[in-house]
Amino acid sequence: MGVIDGSPLHKVKPVKFLLNWGRKYSLWVMNFGLACCAIEFIAGSAAKHDFIRLGVIPFAHGPRQADLLVVAGTLTDKMAPALKRVYDQMPEPKYVISFGSCSNCGGPYWDSYSVTKGVDQLVPVDVYVPGCPPRPEALIHGIVKLQEKIGQEDIKEKWSGTSGAPAVSS
Amino acid sequence: MARPLSPPDVAERLRARFGEDVVAADDQFGHAVVTVTAGRYHEVVQMCRDEPEFTCNYCDFVGGVDRGDDGFEVVTHLFSTRLHHNVRVKVRLPHDEPAIDTISDLYAGANWHERELIEMFGIDVTGHPQPVKLLLPEPFEGHPLRKDFPLMSRVAKPWPGDSEVDSEGEAE
Repeated sequence: MGVIDGSPLHKVKPVKFLLNWGRKYSLWVMNFGLACCAIEFIAGSAAKHDFIRLGVIPFAHGPRQADLLVVAGTLTDKMAPALKRVYDQMPEPKYVISFGSCSNCGGPYWDSYSVTKGVDQLVPVDVYVPGCPPRPEALIHGIVKLQEKIGQEDIKEKWSGTSGAPAVSS
Repeated sequence: MARPLSPPDVAERLRARFGEDVVAADDQFGHAVVTVTAGRYHEVVQMCRDEPEFTCNYCDFVGGVDRGDDGFEVVTHLFSTRLHHNVRVKVRLPHDEPAIDTISDLYAGANWHERELIEMFGIDVTGHPQPVKLLLPEPFEGHPLRKDFPLMSRVAKPWPGDSEVDSEGEAE
């Protein structure tokens, strides 16, 4: 990526398109499953909904092989350092989908003593998927939203930290 | 083969041994529920485990209840996998400096339950081999299952699901 970064090549539209196209259809996903949302995620990966047809490949061997982190479920304050650690191990460019009300904002545990109210306090979230739990279709919608975002992306912009606001799937 | 003890049988046998220290004995849905004094709690549990008529070889759970002004209640549920009877041992503790003996020397499985009791209710479990937090993060302050534990989010915004029935219940 250093070649792209240092040259004006990434500004050439077909090259940028090709690069983004390649990245958006090979999202190796890490399922940070914490609660019932993880079950919906698994349903999303299975035969009926099958997000693999969108190039989202589950079962990354670990965070170091993953491009996309899906936080699915209730994150507690005790678990929070583990999430941060997983995120930090992922190589750039990396994306985060916050899946379900709990990871978006605490959801039904909004007044709990132990639940982190929103994973965006720890990791930058690209797509929020609302629902309790959201259906697998909602996850697929969120993935499509993310892919649209990646398709628009300018790598240089992303790494300089001036890329756009998070998308919200609904 | 020995038969399961009925709740009155359990009460009778415990009363014969512990007398006045068995404060109350009850039958709840076929389970024997006995309230004992804190001082003899360990002995009662040991008897339930070791007496051939009881053989409560399984400790289902050790839990706590905050009864407000009436202090805390520690509930220990014992079960016999051989005789299929349930014995629930309850202990009333004062709200100030509540303390109870550990039974993790009798049932290894009670160890984590008691750690939870310590962190959630602030009940001191005397003689526990490892009285450190189990579920809560280490820097956590307070005992969240106590009724007087403030939920900070609710201080900022009252619970929207509060109904008249709940409010009346709290006023009592």
